Amino acid sequence: MTERPASGATGQIRFEGREVSLHEGDTIASALFRAGVRTFSRSLKLHRRRGIYCGTGECPNCLVTVDDVPGSRSCITPALDGMTVRREGGWPSTERDALHVADRLHGLMPVGFLYKTFIHPRSAWPLAERVIRRATGLGPLPGGPADRRVARHLRTDVLVVGAGIAGLSAALEAAAGGRRVVLCEERAIGDGIAPGSTLERIRRLEARARTEPSIEILERHAALGLYEGPVVPLASDRALVQVHPGRLVLATGARERHAVFPGSDLPGVWLGRAAAAMSGLHGVPIGERVVVVATTAEGIEHIRTLARADGSIVAVVSPSMAGELDGDVETIVDARVLEARGRSRVREVVVRSGENSRTIACDALVLSLGTVPRDELARMAIDERVDVVGDAAGDRRCDANDADGIVCLCEDVSTRDLGRAWDEGFRSAEILKRYTTATMGPCQGAMCGLALECFARSMGAAGAAGSHRTTARPPLRPVALETLAASVHEIVDKRTGLHDAHLAAGARLDRSGGWLRPFGYGDRLEEYRAVRERVGLMDVGTLGKFLIAGRDATRLVDRVFATRVDDLRPGRSRYVIALDEGGYVVDDGLLCALGDGAFYLTSTTGGAERMDARLREWTDRFGLHVHLLDRTSELGAVLVAGPLARELLERVTSDRIDGGAIPYPGHGEVIVDSVPCRAVRSGFVGELAFELHHPRSRGPALWESLMRAGASFDIRPHGLDALETLRLEKGHVYLGQDSLPDDTPAKLGLGHAVAMGKPWFVGKSALERLSALPATRRLAGLAFDRAPNDVAELRGAPLMTDGDVVGRVTSAERSPVLDRAIGLGWIREDAASRAPDLRAGPAVARVVPTPFYDPEGSRVRA
Amino acid sequence: MSVLEVATMPVRALAVLASEEACERVAGLGGACRIGPSEVMVLGDVSPGAVERAVGLSDPDGLVQDVSDGWTLHRLSGPAAREAFARLSELELPASGFVQGEVSSVGARIVAEGDRVDLIVPSMLAEHVRARIDDECRELLG
Repeated sequence: MTERPASGATGQIRFEGREVSLHEGDTIASALFRAGVRTFSRSLKLHRRRGIYCGTGECPNCLVTVDDVPGSRSCITPALDGMTVRREGGWPSTERDALHVADRLHGLMPVGFLYKTFIHPRSAWPLAERVIRRATGLGPLPGGPADRRVARHLRTDVLVVGAGIAGLSAALEAAAGGRRVVLCEERAIGDGIAPGSTLERIRRLEARARTEPSIEILERHAALGLYEGPVVPLASDRALVQVHPGRLVLATGARERHAVFPGSDLPGVWLGRAAAAMSGLHGVPIGERVVVVATTAEGIEHIRTLARADGSIVAVVSPSMAGELDGDVETIVDARVLEARGRSRVREVVVRSGENSRTIACDALVLSLGTVPRDELARMAIDERVDVVGDAAGDRRCDANDADGIVCLCEDVSTRDLGRAWDEGFRSAEILKRYTTATMGPCQGAMCGLALECFARSMGAAGAAGSHRTTARPPLRPVALETLAASVHEIVDKRTGLHDAHLAAGARLDRSGGWLRPFGYGDRLEEYRAVRERVGLMDVGTLGKFLIAGRDATRLVDRVFATRVDDLRPGRSRYVIALDEGGYVVDDGLLCALGDGAFYLTSTTGGAERMDARLREWTDRFGLHVHLLDRTSELGAVLVAGPLARELLERVTSDRIDGGAIPYPGHGEVIVDSVPCRAVRSGFVGELAFELHHPRSRGPALWESLMRAGASFDIRPHGLDALETLRLEKGHVYLGQDSLPDDTPAKLGLGHAVAMGKPWFVGKSALERLSALPATRRLAGLAFDRAPNDVAELRGAPLMTDGDVVGRVTSAERSPVLDRAIGLGWIREDAASRAPDLRAGPAVARVVPTPFYDPEGSRVRA
Repeated sequence: MSVLEVATMPVRALAVLASEEACERVAGLGGACRIGPSEVMVLGDVSPGAVERAVGLSDPDGLVQDVSDGWTLHRLSGPAAREAFARLSELELPASGFVQGEVSSVGARIVAEGDRVDLIVPSMLAEHVRARIDDECRELLG
């Protein structure tokens, strides 16, 4: 069916296979209601029909899927030409729902039914869950990547949440006091309010606020919560705005009271504001015979609004309001609604006045029973000072009400369900909530929170400090995950100055220690061979690099490292290890002594930030005069390694680099093809090697120069994969990979790096204590026989003997130069001596001494 | 012209680690940003010799080091420069002057002046920050 565009139409939306015309100012709900839609959703558990109820975006009744986004609040979402809208819930359709039978079976499905029914046998739950998920829910999430959202921070003197009369007034007052003000409103200002005196006041205030330059108005921005700071995140459909206000004013207003009696959730039962907006604002009569229950002045205004457009009205009013209405409206004074009846929508209402009950035929029942403050944001405040103004600061009172009905519209929890849960021993508001799930649906208790509180209070429940209110938690409004994620970018990759050179060389880059690093350039074995046989290059600019200067620099490094350093002469360097106060190895590095008592320190790639923090901490603890400068970002470093390394460098420098000028272990300043470098002899790969530390910006030129000069040596760059083999052949330990958090130097074979003769260093007293204990395990070199083709499979394998696990493999590689599989691994001390052969997966492992390659170190010292 | 322009460029930077008195003296030279106790970063074309002399007058043990290569400047300019910054950081920008803190999860030094915001970030993280600027501010860049 296609409707002809009516006059005033501004487009069409597509609704379940038909076109629905739009009028100026339509929400999705008003357009659908005008087109005859009365059932907007099916309830979660019982599949009861639900129609427009609150009209203010509070309740779950009108949630529909808009352009594949489920859970859209149709009553406050502006209808835009071209939108596609469908209802969710119900099988085969929302209109004709076979699952409605659940409502008849409500008595058989008491609260906790699912927990109790599908728990035995446990294997049944996965199947039951699939069926239940299909029968419930707000619709499937849209597939595909999420739209982009923008996140930004906003600082202001005052944030006013809510742009009703109180909010606009507060914003104007703050602006008049010279403050910068952000005024946010979930909808557009004045939206959804029927014409009348309230709207007129809002429009007058709005006009002033819009011309006030110090007020920034954010419409269609919903406050999601209140966090320490204070920070109030606001969500729109495109953005997340994190507001940091100096002062917070909450003018969130009040919502209409939710009524609970049999049939109170039928389509055709409206809260006053929803009915007044539909009739007075959108011009769609809500019924031909309307019963309005009004206990407040706002309710009387709603009656007047409805009387202008709708058919006959029966007003049920409190005595104090009786004189407010003129003669055209049939008035019943001081009566109470007992029940609303009807199948697919309300058909009649039973009211009681004194002892008399009366049934009134009608097609709409409007309830205007007063308001409940929207104070969730205020309740989230712990230390933050907030000012609550207007209706948000109003009272919460409980009405005496023992009628049965649906309390929680989202989760289909009835008064009877609460009673049963109470009888089962769930006797406080918080645990009633958890057990029945009342207040835990999409509306987060906006509707039923007060009813649950009043129920608990009436039953005499225990509540902390007399409170029967459940905790308010963010997000207060439905919000897309992509909006919440808009500000989150956890992955931060560092790059060396040679990044582009690696890409140009076809490197395979991956993440390691916070950096993007080359793992290889296509031929791992050739990369390895270049280092062992000729010369290779590696970007080691990721190493932590520190200048340690000042009067107490020596004192600091002497205390922070377990290694002896006070005898280190300028131009020499030494492998150093750092322990924590428990005596465990936490970091290592290479310390180079400069002139003037200063040092240049390199640390592992992943340990740079830790090293920086450790050095600063001990500087402060001892009150030392130390200048610590982290040069990691500023300096690049290239490892030139291989038997021809010196020959290569001699082609590009005129400085002396022989063993006399730069001995092992030592360092010196050289100019390499006009790039000033500190050349640091390195033993990590087991060949003659120089690390050239240089200004980052000169890295590409240096790299290019070395590659060019090394072309006749068939020089190659190598990545971390080749390095893994090179270092393992030398038996070098990767802290973290080969070590455990409770490794003493001795366990790692690093006893040579500890100077127990020093008067003090971090971890010394712990080592003295630990040395009295028998050693239980140590890291050992392993040689494998019958290793699988992919030796990496052995990493992590348990080491077994006689069926006992006595250790674990931490590193394993095939060594080209030894032509066998080698590794490192943990082994229990007793097993290391007792068992000559150990099983490691399919392989046999023997404990052997390290280094595997060039044990005398003559190649490194060349 | 779009509301936001972004330019990435090298920056001249000197690290000064010296006594409070020496730092105060350096602060008078212009381009000086107080990083922490006894630490100043001097940005721009200030002569290292002048800085060393200023430090030396109060603290012979003070350290002055050219750290230009360690830092990269991303300059946001145009009417939306501050809006762009608010998408990258929760720091409060002064109307004019220096502030430091996290920008796109990176420790940065920021100098704001009117419609211009200079983000000085470690060079090893410069590409990360630039990618975040380009992504977060896509529609501002026009």
